[in-house]
Amino acid sequence: MELNLKGKRAIIPGSTKGILKRVVEQLIDEGCDVALCSRSEDTVARTLRELSGGRGNAIGRACDVTNKEDYEAWIEEMVEQMGGVDIFIPGVSAGGGADSERNWWKSFEVDVLSTVRGCEIVTPHMRESGGGAITFITTTASVETFGGPQAYNAMKGSLLVYAKQLSQDIGKDNIRVNCVSPGPIYFEGGSWQMLKDTMTKWFAKIERDHPTGRLGTPEEVSNCIVFLSSPAASWVSGTNLMVDGGFTKRVQF
Amino acid sequence: MEPIRKNHISRSDPERNPKGTPMAKSPDLDLGTSIIPKERYISKDFMEKEWDGIWTKVWLLGCREDQIPEPGDFICTNIGQESVLLVRQTNDEIKAFHNVCMHRGNRLADEGLWHADRFVCGYHGWTYDSDGTFVDIPDLETFPQGKPPCGGLVELPCDTWASFVWFNLNPDAEPLEEYLGDLIGHFEPYHFERMAMTRWVTAEWNCNWKASVDAFAETYHTAQTHPQLLWYLEDLDVQIDLYGKHSRYLVPFGLLSPRVESVGEIPPPLKAMLKSAGMDPASYEGSINEIRDAVQQHKRLTQEEQGKDFSDLHDEQLTDDYNYLVFPNVTTNTHSDDLMLFRHRPHPIDPNKMLFDVWMFELIPEGEEWPELPKHDYRPEGSKRSLGLVIDQDASNLASVQAGMQSAGYPGLWLSDQELRLRHFHKTISDYVGE
Repeated sequence: MELNLKGKRAIIPGSTKGILKRVVEQLIDEGCDVALCSRSEDTVARTLRELSGGRGNAIGRACDVTNKEDYEAWIEEMVEQMGGVDIFIPGVSAGGGADSERNWWKSFEVDVLSTVRGCEIVTPHMRESGGGAITFITTTASVETFGGPQAYNAMKGSLLVYAKQLSQDIGKDNIRVNCVSPGPIYFEGGSWQMLKDTMTKWFAKIERDHPTGRLGTPEEVSNCIVFLSSPAASWVSGTNLMVDGGFTKRVQF
Repeated sequence: MEPIRKNHISRSDPERNPKGTPMAKSPDLDLGTSIIPKERYISKDFMEKEWDGIWTKVWLLGCREDQIPEPGDFICTNIGQESVLLVRQTNDEIKAFHNVCMHRGNRLADEGLWHADRFVCGYHGWTYDSDGTFVDIPDLETFPQGKPPCGGLVELPCDTWASFVWFNLNPDAEPLEEYLGDLIGHFEPYHFERMAMTRWVTAEWNCNWKASVDAFAETYHTAQTHPQLLWYLEDLDVQIDLYGKHSRYLVPFGLLSPRVESVGEIPPPLKAMLKSAGMDPASYEGSINEIRDAVQQHKRLTQEEQGKDFSDLHDEQLTDDYNYLVFPNVTTNTHSDDLMLFRHRPHPIDPNKMLFDVWMFELIPEGEEWPELPKHDYRPEGSKRSLGLVIDQDASNLASVQAGMQSAGYPGLWLSDQELRLRHFHKTISDYVGE
């Protein structure tokens, strides 16, 4: 199967580790140019060094996605430097937590608002160049009870609603919008590595709850994100793809 | 897990609190690199040497003063094959006695916390006053030799310090203060008297008492045995101090071990630390390795409204674990808001067994009501009930260590610099047993 990604231009905020980093690597392998950011200049510099010399180019700078002006300026800069944008994959998250009301404000600001702001900036550019693909990184925790009621689950759930309705609105411009909902994904330096050490029993239960008895890998999710973001998925829009190795128990009609 | 960075550990300025716990590193001692023979852990001969050289010579921790507040309140506590009564007197003093009736050698009480205005032997009814003197010997006229000349129960040296009651099986013991030495100035700033006892557990463990002390005297085992703690404390940059027979190490809490990298979210143990300091983890905007400093500052700023007087403590003591061994068998995880004290007691006859006592204390804010004293919770050998994750993890090593030490293939302990306190512990033991 040909993904037809060569020459595409992708903007992927916060993609310096884990699933999104793997997405960046795969897109570069496919010949895309990719723009990334992180709050830390050092992290951006290190990531760009690691990615240099691939088929496609990686560019980026430090940016705080919760700072409206900074974030919007970063996207415009990246669009300008790459000469347009074909793919947008917003996946930055404030993470889980049920400590206080502050969790809700943070999840709204980081997970929801930065996604909405990003979509509003990139869609005119995509429209101008004849189309594009937007892929949200959501979570299985939005469709099944997981880890207790909390902002992360609910705010990611709101992105499912927004993605579907956005896909209806901008479908006519040949812009597809989809969601990929990973289950628990394990990698060195990821939350589940920390949870394996700090919440050992719970971690073991989560492992057992997977039909294969293990957590997923970044690559197993990024394969799906890259596919949905590529022209090979031209007839897929408004969907939410569960990428969880069969972890969730609900029936999806 | 190899370290991936060196943490920056901020230290408090000792000049700001010159009467506080000494912070300076003790001079290094050259204790060599030789193997510690395993016989020290498994042989009955060595156990007997310890009895003669250590247990019958040193000051031993008996109880908390507030466990026996009223005249006639007493605790019976065993050490080896001895049993001791610590009794509150009518004049508020505390006396220690051998727990044995001078008639036929019957024990007067079982281990535990009790009250009696008089001790009555359950065999023939010999009766002693709470100060140990004979009150009644039934049918005294049938003893042509009269009463035993000792006048009653055999008294032992007993003293109190920092809200704790200590005794000594050696009638000619040096004063308690002399025995504790420098440690007095180390502990006083914590004000243990403001802390309430909240837990009192004794567990029978299948290991030598020293194996248990060892488990609390080095941080080298953290990565393998307690991986969750790598997300909570510094396990490599740990100051080790050796003081005569006692020792300590200082473990910074409130940051990530240099063996793990931040995953961008606050690990649950650090969230718990923030919450217990009265901070909201969701509102914390600093870096994860700055949580230690932030908690210190917050606790210092809010101590008054929280009813906690930390004025005698250094800032770093508001987060860190100052971890002491009071030779031979008391280890303390000393913290500003709590004290986790473990007493490691030898089994009466078997070097492969021991009694592990857990005494937990919590600082009670000024004006708050103190909780009721905890009941003694005894866990016989094989009990599956948890003592808390960290202790359970240690305990599961210890039975296995003791079994392994019996192997013909194992000569003894091969120690690293990270385990210097173990080497020092064994040097002190050698000094006491004369080896």
